[in-house]
Amino acid sequence: MLRQPLSRALALSSPARVAPLAARRYADAVPAQPEKVEVFIDDQPVHVLPGTTVLQAAAQVGVEIPRFCYHERLAVAGNCRMCLVEVEKSPKPVAACAMPVMKGMRVKTNSDLTRKAREGVMEFLLVNHPLDCPICDQGGECDLQDQSMAFGSDRSRFTDIHFSGKRAVEDKDVGPLIKTIMTRCIHCTRCIRFASEVAGVDDFGTTGRGTEMQVGTYVEKMFLSELSGNIIDLCPVGALTSKPYSFAARPWETRRIDSVDVLDPLGSNIVVATRTNEVLRILPRTNEEINEEWLSDKSRFACDGLKRQRLVTPMLKDSRGNLAPVEWEDAVVAAARALRDCPPDKLLAVAGGLADAEALVALKDLLNRLGSEHVCTEHYFPTQGAGTDLRSSYLLNTKIANVEDADFVLLIGTNTRFEAPLLNARIRKAFIHKETDVALVGPKVDLTYEYTHVGDSASIVKDFASGTSSHEVMKRLQQAKRPVVILGADQLKSEEGPALLAYTQELAHKLQENLQDKEWKVLNVLQRTASQVAALDIGYQPGVGQALAAGPKVVYLLGADSGVVTRESLPEDVTIIYQGHHGDVGASIADIVLPGAAYTEKRATYVNAEGRAQQTLVAVSPPGKAREDWKIIRALSEVLGAGLPYDTLDEVRDRLSQVSPALVAYGDVQPNNYFAQARALAQSLQKPVSGKLDVQLKQLEDFFMTDAISRASPTMAKCVQAVLKQKNSPY
Amino acid sequence: MSLGKYLALDKLANLFNILKQNGGIRGTLYKLYRQEEAKDGVLVGEDKFGNKYYENPRYFYGRSRWVEYNEKFHLNYDASQVTSEWYGWLHYKTDLPPHQDPSRPKYKWMIDGNENLSGTTGQYTPYSTTRPKVEAWMPKKAE
Amino acid sequence: MLSSLRTGVKGLWRASSRALQTSSTLQHDSLFVHRDTPEDNPNIPFEFTEQNQKRVDALLAIYPEGHKRAAMIPLLDLAQRQNNGWLPISAMHKVAEILNLPRMRVYEVATFYTMFIRRPIGKYHVQVCTTTPCWLRGSDAVLNAIKEATGCEVGGNSPCGKFSLSEVECLGACVNAPMLQVNDDYYEDLTVEDTKEIIEKLKKDEKPLPGPRSGRFASEPLGGLTSLTEEPTGPGFGVQDGLKA
Repeated sequence: MLRQPLSRALALSSPARVAPLAARRYADAVPAQPEKVEVFIDDQPVHVLPGTTVLQAAAQVGVEIPRFCYHERLAVAGNCRMCLVEVEKSPKPVAACAMPVMKGMRVKTNSDLTRKAREGVMEFLLVNHPLDCPICDQGGECDLQDQSMAFGSDRSRFTDIHFSGKRAVEDKDVGPLIKTIMTRCIHCTRCIRFASEVAGVDDFGTTGRGTEMQVGTYVEKMFLSELSGNIIDLCPVGALTSKPYSFAARPWETRRIDSVDVLDPLGSNIVVATRTNEVLRILPRTNEEINEEWLSDKSRFACDGLKRQRLVTPMLKDSRGNLAPVEWEDAVVAAARALRDCPPDKLLAVAGGLADAEALVALKDLLNRLGSEHVCTEHYFPTQGAGTDLRSSYLLNTKIANVEDADFVLLIGTNTRFEAPLLNARIRKAFIHKETDVALVGPKVDLTYEYTHVGDSASIVKDFASGTSSHEVMKRLQQAKRPVVILGADQLKSEEGPALLAYTQELAHKLQENLQDKEWKVLNVLQRTASQVAALDIGYQPGVGQALAAGPKVVYLLGADSGVVTRESLPEDVTIIYQGHHGDVGASIADIVLPGAAYTEKRATYVNAEGRAQQTLVAVSPPGKAREDWKIIRALSEVLGAGLPYDTLDEVRDRLSQVSPALVAYGDVQPNNYFAQARALAQSLQKPVSGKLDVQLKQLEDFFMTDAISRASPTMAKCVQAVLKQKNSPY
Repeated sequence: MSLGKYLALDKLANLFNILKQNGGIRGTLYKLYRQEEAKDGVLVGEDKFGNKYYENPRYFYGRSRWVEYNEKFHLNYDASQVTSEWYGWLHYKTDLPPHQDPSRPKYKWMIDGNENLSGTTGQYTPYSTTRPKVEAWMPKKAE
Repeated sequence: MLSSLRTGVKGLWRASSRALQTSSTLQHDSLFVHRDTPEDNPNIPFEFTEQNQKRVDALLAIYPEGHKRAAMIPLLDLAQRQNNGWLPISAMHKVAEILNLPRMRVYEVATFYTMFIRRPIGKYHVQVCTTTPCWLRGSDAVLNAIKEATGCEVGGNSPCGKFSLSEVECLGACVNAPMLQVNDDYYEDLTVEDTKEIIEKLKKDEKPLPGPRSGRFASEPLGGLTSLTEEPTGPGFGVQDGLKA
């Protein structure tokens, strides 16, 4: 299991044996930095902290030591032996990944002994590794291939094929995402460590011993985690490969385009691998601030949804009420006529969860020019009090990376595991390595780590805010040096939403007042979609409830697929214009369909839950007659005679920067303030609350299909099936 | 050089001959409109499409054999409408027209030539049997 | 004529079949993945008996708080003893539940140690040492005698279901070679007759006397001591005079 401090081990034993929370020790804020020691890597001196491993010290001077089992973000295993290096005055080569540096140590990473040791290790690895590179999906991006080229022998002494043969291991069925070819496994145990440390699903292990040892699940069990795809990247050989991508392409055939994921609110950085205008797979791109090097399964595997259920041509309802394909001219003219003939106060635009900032600003400008102010988002956010005027009240102010430094995390009505898997991975990381404790107000869910469940009643938050709660979590919060409070945006939809937000702000404010670290932000609101923050920044009204009640004549849906706008909720004679990329809820109720581009097909700005603007790049062209979203709106404005004042993307972005400079400050997060003001404005909203907090995504099967793209994805559908099947399994 | 020749009377005779053979001034003008050329010559034969093949050795080699396409083609005539039997004669590969050539092989498996259909509605269009990369959404039909 | 046709066809078939190059794989006698069987599946409940539950508590009490997982091997052993010498998957699950560990961590331990037997075996697990010293002293004859008497193959169970036979590496009784182990007892200095007698007694569920069969008490020389025969010297032996009291 994990290498962990004693007190954490205590916490992981049975609930009855958990030591009282208050009794536990907490790491000091800033431990004194010990003196650095000097070591020599290939005669280059380097000063490192004691406790650094030889491998890390070598990396600091740019010497890369080959490795299979070592991974920066996982515990050290030291079992592959590939990182053997010669150390002066040491009789044997030492494993660099597990050897802490000592003062004056002289490491030779390219001596005869080192090279011979590596060659020997490589030879042993290859003895039991099949020579099936030509049919292996890892071919071309395989650590074993690369390192055997660089460090292996140039010839084989393997002649045992007629006697004992190569080891053969039975393949495992670990679900619809990961294909296993266990004969290729070199027992680096990275997948086991990932599952245990990061994913928190302890299903992998080694069974047997010696030459019969195998990595697997022992019983027939699928590896069902929201982060399972990462073990494909971690596997240094082709033992774990991607099932949807199997036999699809070689890495050198694909073009890789850096982009940003939009299927959860975190905006993980991704690389889109394409070939012949087709998205083949999505891989994570390292961004320490957001996703480190992980990616959630939905973001990674839902990309086949980009090829299904697409809107490829404009459509109009014909005389029989069926949507029929038409040319752009007809569709735009029909849409323009509908918009022109509608009284401005009966116009309504609704933006969905996947809309980009450019399209959002263009749509808002268009409606404003037509004299309407009714632009809203699908997800509600209380507008009373400070509402959406103060950016700090709807962002993750702590920032994702800083959650690691928190010493107490209070989750209110949010299941971070499925709403923002990588934020949850951060909390788990803090829980394991930094002794952070977590408490949850809301329904009991599996967060992959232990937490104190305070209850699911909203009044608990009220008691916390007023300080009248006698719960031990209250004491812990007050004692915490860097507390974090995360409120799920889903809770704000209800009647009691404003009060809940007000109490949370009050609580966060009180906690922040007492902090030593004045820069530390306590209040966080976790949005559910990738577009919400940008939409609120641009000035969209959150929620459609009021707008729908007003009985609009024309509704313009910009990718609004969550089902909050229905035919039933609208007057009979309403005209619905849907602009988006998938035929989903929105398109099926529309009268006019304008095909837009998905996030891999446009250069567009998305603002993540922290308020960090990031842009996607064009990986493939939009299918058929589909066009970039802001261009469609720009064209529509021209036909309407209300031409928008921008013709190029740069000009749209100029407009965005007029609205808010933060929208085009790519990669940056502006520090937020005005917490006190927001709290002061919200004080009148602190009304008694009595409801129960509930979250939408409770189980793993709820996680996979949440938006138009993942609902269209066959892989995600298979995942849901697999989870349901696993539930009936006795394991 | 005879006087007639000197006075280019033979040219005049040819002109009259051409006019006569092509059906008078109207007919000749029509021929000129249709095939930009009006010639006089001996009708050597006719193929299965109804194209007529003429020869007049008075024209220099290369222009002394020609085809006048069937009226039904009007202006849409095309070199591929010359049948393969007549092709050889027209291009001076043989001097014997097909109906006078006993040595031409006639096998059961030989099929009639076809004209080139490119540019018409009957043309061959290549198609792919692979699945489309993007599956379009099909709206539900109203009852 | 028909027969010649047949040989012709056969010849054709033979010509088209390739000499496929195969490699034998190293095979352990136990499987390192779990397969559900009627005897061993997670739906068969496993509970420690009341008596064993007390033992479980006692075992857990040995290990300090936070290191309770160290009790895994003793608990698995206890479960194996309770379950007639083999460890079903439900017992592993039970141990995981007691220790509050992921089940995989228990599977790892249970598969690592060869003394945890994960398939149903007979009441008497006969383990014959065939390592060099025992082999030199005739362990092959002992092994054959057992095979004959019980009808077991090595690695299998007897038809009556009472015996299981294993060939094992050195059990540390080389001075008393050849030897065999039945459940927890060693039978040493064996001859073929001794072996047969032991098996016969076990068949009648009588317990044969464990230990050497040659009349020795333990591993002393058979023909009496050859060294250290004199009286042991008392205290003060060889101490220089000045230090004597």
